[in-house]
Amino acid sequence: MHTNGSTTIDVTSASQGQVRTPWREFWRKFKRQKIAVVAASFILLLIVVAIFGRWLAPYDAENDFDYMLINEGPSMAHWFGVDALGRDIFSRILIGTQLSLTAGFFSVALGAVVGTMMGLMAGFYGGWWDRITMRISDVLFAFPGMLLAIGVVAIMGNGMINVIVAVSIFSIPAFARLVRGNTLVLKNMTYIEAVKSIGASNWTIIMRHILPGTVSGIVVYFTMRIGTSIITAASLSFLGLGAQPPTPEWGAMLNEAQADMMIAPHVAIFPSLAIFFTVLAFNLLGDGLRDALDPKLDQK
Amino acid sequence: MLKRYRYKSLLMTGLAVYMSLIAFPSYATKEVTIAVYSNFSSLDPYDTNDTLSQAMAKSFYQGLFGFDQDSKLVNVLADSYTVNEAGTEYTIFLRKGIKFHDETDFNADAVKATFDRVTNPDNHLKRYNLFSRIINTEVINSYTVKFTLNQPFSAFINTLAHPSAVIISPTALAKYGKDIAFHPVGTGPFVFTEWNATDYVKGKKFDQYWKKGLPKIDTIIWRPIIENNTRAAMIQTGEAQFAFSIPYEQAKLLEKNDKLVLVSTPSIIARYISLNVTKKPFDDVRVRQALNYAINKEALAKVAFAGYATPIRGVVPAGVDFAVDYGPWPYDPDKARELLAEAGYPTGFSTVLWSSYNHTTAQKVIQFIQQQLKQVGINVAIEAMEVGQRVARVESVPSVDDAEVKMYYTGWSSSTMESDWAITPLLATSSWPPKMYNTAYYSNPVVDEKLQQALLTNDRETKKILYKEIQDQIWADAPWIFLLGDKQLYVHSKNLTGMSVMIDGSFYFEDIDLH
Repeated sequence: MHTNGSTTIDVTSASQGQVRTPWREFWRKFKRQKIAVVAASFILLLIVVAIFGRWLAPYDAENDFDYMLINEGPSMAHWFGVDALGRDIFSRILIGTQLSLTAGFFSVALGAVVGTMMGLMAGFYGGWWDRITMRISDVLFAFPGMLLAIGVVAIMGNGMINVIVAVSIFSIPAFARLVRGNTLVLKNMTYIEAVKSIGASNWTIIMRHILPGTVSGIVVYFTMRIGTSIITAASLSFLGLGAQPPTPEWGAMLNEAQADMMIAPHVAIFPSLAIFFTVLAFNLLGDGLRDALDPKLDQK
Repeated sequence: MLKRYRYKSLLMTGLAVYMSLIAFPSYATKEVTIAVYSNFSSLDPYDTNDTLSQAMAKSFYQGLFGFDQDSKLVNVLADSYTVNEAGTEYTIFLRKGIKFHDETDFNADAVKATFDRVTNPDNHLKRYNLFSRIINTEVINSYTVKFTLNQPFSAFINTLAHPSAVIISPTALAKYGKDIAFHPVGTGPFVFTEWNATDYVKGKKFDQYWKKGLPKIDTIIWRPIIENNTRAAMIQTGEAQFAFSIPYEQAKLLEKNDKLVLVSTPSIIARYISLNVTKKPFDDVRVRQALNYAINKEALAKVAFAGYATPIRGVVPAGVDFAVDYGPWPYDPDKARELLAEAGYPTGFSTVLWSSYNHTTAQKVIQFIQQQLKQVGINVAIEAMEVGQRVARVESVPSVDDAEVKMYYTGWSSSTMESDWAITPLLATSSWPPKMYNTAYYSNPVVDEKLQQALLTNDRETKKILYKEIQDQIWADAPWIFLLGDKQLYVHSKNLTGMSVMIDGSFYFEDIDLH
């Protein structure tokens, strides 16, 4: 019985092992990297907090205040302490998670979509379209990202939506370059020639046969980029250009903490830690994804 | 062995050099650096309306009259004065033997040149309104000058003691014209040497200063340091010997430093929010009163000023002549909701609050106001403006129809120490922007009328009654949310003496010295 049972399992796993779907392959490599798995779990937790924060937060992040406890340090009632306006910092950070993640995700998503399209076109068609796209990218690259974002916000006005647009604009050239490079390699592959020879349209070739080949690169870069974007969005809010008070955005919280951090360091420490761990988690996850998705790294 | 010896001798030499260096300062020139909270808008006291620039300009300039350390009116360049029966002619007798920095003699011609300049509307000086009552300045003899006013104005000597009313060298005025703002030449204790707009203003000791033995220091450096923490850090590292203002949050920290002295003094600076009474819903007095009831001023003092502020007790700050004390406006959110409901806003409304300052204290104040008003259903969007925005969007708006200002957080220092300057520029109909600072666009003919009457009489009892009626009316109309009078905090190093911050936020530094 026992022997039989184990034999059965062996057979099953063997037969599954033969059908190595990309997804399964990825998972096999990914779960070997403990740090990336921890980072991914942390990000999942953040997502849960982002969605359910409103119900998880012990206090109303904007309208519950206690002037008797101004700048009080952490306690049982207020895990992360109280800020200068008597509000619970823990609740504010929980609520702020949603803003930071949304800003980070959407700004990169927007940049990724536009950048990928530009990159695909540039790589596939080449010629003047390629030159224009790449020169625009060069110009955008030449600006320090923060300066570019500040410029965009200065033109469009303050607010979170504008910050997302601003940050996405400087994500565009990075994606465009990345995808263009991959496209240049892929379009000379034999299978593309084969597709061409059976008369597929350019559109089909780009979308069905080249794009999937660039996805792994995009995903890795996407994840890493979210970290950077969260920092940029927080920085813009820190400068007073993004979320407006009393919105508990992490960068805005740091801005408000400036006056009090000499006497009550916790008002600055906890929002900083929130930004730090979130960005770190996205970067570590990005690293893990790269190792899992890069076929070249598989050979060792 | 040799190596070791060399090392030792090197160390000794180094030590000797070091010793000579640290011993040196006691013979060195005395240099004092004063770190202040804002940039200087101009070095021409007649063309600026911020207290700080005028206070700094007192290093170079002096007025005919002034205030001493205790805010008492004193003669400075004037020796004495007389006033005619009608109260329209002031004859000032000047001190003799005083020289300007450029060797020009101080005399009646200098006084005339100075006041002819500011009273000429073509010069468009910001302080024109303060002196526009003077219709003629006449030289009687070298050291006697007569001011003729268009009507009796009992507060005239106070006006001449205002920090902007300084005497400028006529030679320099002729030489520099409009550029006098970059080349201040007065009779003050220091000679102007350099102005680097965002970095510092420097002055060196004026050897021929008319007060013998003064100034006691050789160099004075004014440094605008806008960032609160930086300013507080500078005084702790010894980079500055005097710092004003000090962030309230850090008072406790600095108090513990035994090299420094922390001083808190009262001020006549009143903080308030003007409500544009021409705009809905602020056209309804019930709404304006409701807003006053909705704010917990005690808590505001605690949150934004670390307790270094007290709720305002009337329209005119206590300490100013003819101020009436009504006690603080009570905090009563229920009453506020009631009044809002009566006025037709049972669920509140949305509005915008601008702040005329963008420093951290102001940021806290407007956030606190936002928090408090939310409690009675009012959603407030807040915006802290920097100087340029403030001038463009509030102070120089050409007419009431163009005004977008709704709620406006600002403050006023009644530097002449009497009630006219505390009320007229802020609440008279003639003071609507761009002329003056009536950002509430408040207009009450009775108030206007009585303000005029009060100026026409020299009888204190009559004035007292008039100013009381004026203040009663304004307090009832509540064109402002009356907030706080803040205390002023400053720090100086223990070895600095003779400098203090006066009640109006300007400085007294006649005897400044470094030990």
